[in-house]
Amino acid sequence: MSGVLFGDRELREVAERALKAAKGDQAEALVIARTGSLTRYANAAIHQNVTSREADVTIRVVVGRRRATATTNRLDEEGLRRAAEAASELARRAPEDPTFGGLPEPRPIAAAPSAYVERTAEATPMDRARAVKILCDTAKAQKLVCAGFVSSNVQEIAVASTTGTWAYAPQTHAEVQIGAIGDDGSAFAQRVSPDFKELDVSGAAQEAVSKAVRAQRPRETAAGIYEVVLEPYCVRDMVGFLSGHFTGLAVEEGRSFVGGKIGQQVTGAITLVEDPFDAQSMPRAFDFEGQPSERVTLLDGGVARGIVYDSGTAHRVGARNTGHALPPNAFTPSSPMHVRFESGDASHEALVAGVKKGLLVTRFHYTRWVHQLRTIVTGMTRDGTFAIENGEIAYPIKNLRFTQSYHEAWSGVRAIGKDLRLLVAAEQFGLTASCQRIPALRLAAFTFTGSTRY
Amino acid sequence: MIASFSVERDLAKRALDTARKRGASYADVRFVRRDEENALVKNGRLESADRADSFGFGVRAIADGAWGFAASQIVTADEADRVAALAVEIAKASALTKMRDAALAPVEAKTATFTTSVDVDPFAMTVDDRLGLLVAAEAKLRERKGLRTTRAAYSIWREDKLFLSTEGADIQQRLTEVGGGIAAEAVGDGELQIRTYPDGLRYQNSGGWEVLTKWDLVRHAPRVADEALALLKAKQCPQDIRTNVILAGNQLSLQCHESCGHPIELDRAMGSEAAFAGTSFLTTDKLGTFRYGSEQVNIRIDATSPGGLGTFGFDDEGVPASEGWAVKAGLFVGYLMSRETAAALGRRSNGTMRADGWQRVPIIRMTNVSVMPGSAGTLDDLIADTDDGILMDTNRSWSIDDKRFNFQFGTEVGWQIKKGKRGDMIRNPTYTGITPEFWGSCDAVCSQSEWIMWGTPNCGKGQPGQGAHTGHGAAPARFRDVNVGVIK
Repeated sequence: MSGVLFGDRELREVAERALKAAKGDQAEALVIARTGSLTRYANAAIHQNVTSREADVTIRVVVGRRRATATTNRLDEEGLRRAAEAASELARRAPEDPTFGGLPEPRPIAAAPSAYVERTAEATPMDRARAVKILCDTAKAQKLVCAGFVSSNVQEIAVASTTGTWAYAPQTHAEVQIGAIGDDGSAFAQRVSPDFKELDVSGAAQEAVSKAVRAQRPRETAAGIYEVVLEPYCVRDMVGFLSGHFTGLAVEEGRSFVGGKIGQQVTGAITLVEDPFDAQSMPRAFDFEGQPSERVTLLDGGVARGIVYDSGTAHRVGARNTGHALPPNAFTPSSPMHVRFESGDASHEALVAGVKKGLLVTRFHYTRWVHQLRTIVTGMTRDGTFAIENGEIAYPIKNLRFTQSYHEAWSGVRAIGKDLRLLVAAEQFGLTASCQRIPALRLAAFTFTGSTRY
Repeated sequence: MIASFSVERDLAKRALDTARKRGASYADVRFVRRDEENALVKNGRLESADRADSFGFGVRAIADGAWGFAASQIVTADEADRVAALAVEIAKASALTKMRDAALAPVEAKTATFTTSVDVDPFAMTVDDRLGLLVAAEAKLRERKGLRTTRAAYSIWREDKLFLSTEGADIQQRLTEVGGGIAAEAVGDGELQIRTYPDGLRYQNSGGWEVLTKWDLVRHAPRVADEALALLKAKQCPQDIRTNVILAGNQLSLQCHESCGHPIELDRAMGSEAAFAGTSFLTTDKLGTFRYGSEQVNIRIDATSPGGLGTFGFDDEGVPASEGWAVKAGLFVGYLMSRETAAALGRRSNGTMRADGWQRVPIIRMTNVSVMPGSAGTLDDLIADTDDGILMDTNRSWSIDDKRFNFQFGTEVGWQIKKGKRGDMIRNPTYTGITPEFWGSCDAVCSQSEWIMWGTPNCGKGQPGQGAHTGHGAAPARFRDVNVGVIK
């Protein structure tokens, strides 16, 4: 394997040294190692070009019903000892948690398809720079500037515990993002692949540049309720917000729109499957507690079906642990991490052709909860918003603000794209923890509440 | 005491030598050691207690007129050589698309140290003392029955940094921060309502443990709990009306962060963030001529303000902390600048480049961007002076477009103001506007006695993503004829 990897054996040694240094009834070591290389460009030239090699160990120590964690990037004997002692000391001092059921016992982990591609790990700075040049040249040919990045990433996840858990997986992914920018309009495209050589750089360039050419001279459009076609970049945002409701903690705390509604119709005919074994995503068969991750249907034709859990929440509420723990953190113990939005049968052209009067939105920007329980989110459109008239893209429009209940918008689903795009969420916990496969979507109504001047 | 970096200094010099030999025309090296501890008590149990440390170095280089950066946590001579050489190799690859050579505004190379002023070192306290405050405050919240979730949290954070450059700079700094707060959540009848104190769970300042104890979390807990419960039965914010709005200081600080702090970042104005965070409506042709707000609006960039999360001795390019105006009597007059962007404007950097740890490249970040106090007296005075409107307190929702023009914010709570008196509580308050029109409608800012240094410890920017800690002083302020209420 590539020199950027620590590998199974080395990370196991690191984890075992950490466990040995822990002083408690139980201990767990989560090792996350990562080499991230990202070549960023703007104004059609590379302006930030970075690589970093990082590895952290998070040691969780349990003393009775008390527990605490310590994280260090010092992997030597002294560093691990100090972190283990810090976690042990914190755990001894912590107030008891009567709901805590201890670290999970090891369970068999099924094999998942490999998400590691050697040649992604071997991509060089010049490989990424050449990809950027393709993007810039494509934009320049249409008298546009461009901005975005090309990245190649390697990450390794290893989990060991004194209960006997051991899990290890290496993963790679490459990503390209391009914003093609003209005098008064822009467009965006993104591609993700586990394999740098398979990364569709030219396809991203063509998508963004051709759309940006059409996005110039946008017209003003009044805020209001419109039928919409949402590109996968928008739909990914919706999936990101709503999938957080399908967790044990969100239901327990009364923050979930599906709380108390399992088995009920909660949206239109949409199926979301959390599938850690999807060979076309970035599969991983275990979670950050080293527990086997299960395939869970979250929504089945709009009927709420499943909730994902980590061990702590599952124990507290008496549910089965589905193996969806995130790295230890204060607020989000679990999450779906491999959501597939099941495809429909509509081509992109057909999605637009079905709309008599509406809008095509390329991308959402700066989306935030307005009312979490009602899943109301506000945000802006950006990088290519168009009017649709009589089934055709008619003209570009200036960006709009929306304030919309996401799950209510899904109640009006009229068509689902047949092509799924692999997208990744922003980094969390120092790594890419989540990915999604997402189609474009046609919705009957979406509420736009304001407009901007460009 | 500031950390000893004697071994690291030798390695930094070695890395600079290697970078030069490989062809770098400029290079700098930062060693960073970060220590932090975060704890959360929730519903009577310790939900999370985490201690973390991170140590490593990054090398930034210009070669063939372009930039490269590489970083590693392996602190050895061989790795210093490898990383420095890699930074230069990356820079040379960057030159493939170069339009012009990178140029830096001059800065005097300093040998200096800086340490945050700390009364009570949070890292020297016992764990029991730190956790004890949370346990007591959270227990006080739970004395009120009917809450679904109660939380108390703290963060302690310290960073030791060493900066050396090929221009001769040698700067060491120790920065210390403390933050935390309490939160009460109530759920019922399709509503989830939250009240927090002093500012979400995100309040943070530079300084020692005194930063947190001064807020007296235990004393305020019953009020916070009561307000969360009362919000379940409060009136819904009126929909789509225009009225006067008074923003509490903590909300004004975020309003300033989003609609002034970001658009005055010169890298955004010059397009460096175009594909991600966005650009800025404050383009360079507007500098010194554009009316950003009313004459009541004075916004200062000041990396020397006591307590600010953007308070330091030097930025991560070795530029000394500075102070100046972003907006003076409503006129846009100043950007946040790096050495490279300042050079493009024919100016000197005002020292705003910061990196999120050793493994990230410095980018322009807000230091302390603060709305300066006015002369409207206390909050009570301002309410008494307002015939009709809504007081909005503590941010709950925030969104703004990619040029920082169209924004929409929501707060945890509002109160109607009628004939100069605070009236009924309002739930789900929101307001929306266009940045220069909104600031142009500001007709009163409370006085110095109401001015507090707030902070944003989670400002996201850059790819790969970087978090930054930014400071924002603010006092309550009034805005006329604001569009309020977007949900039924």
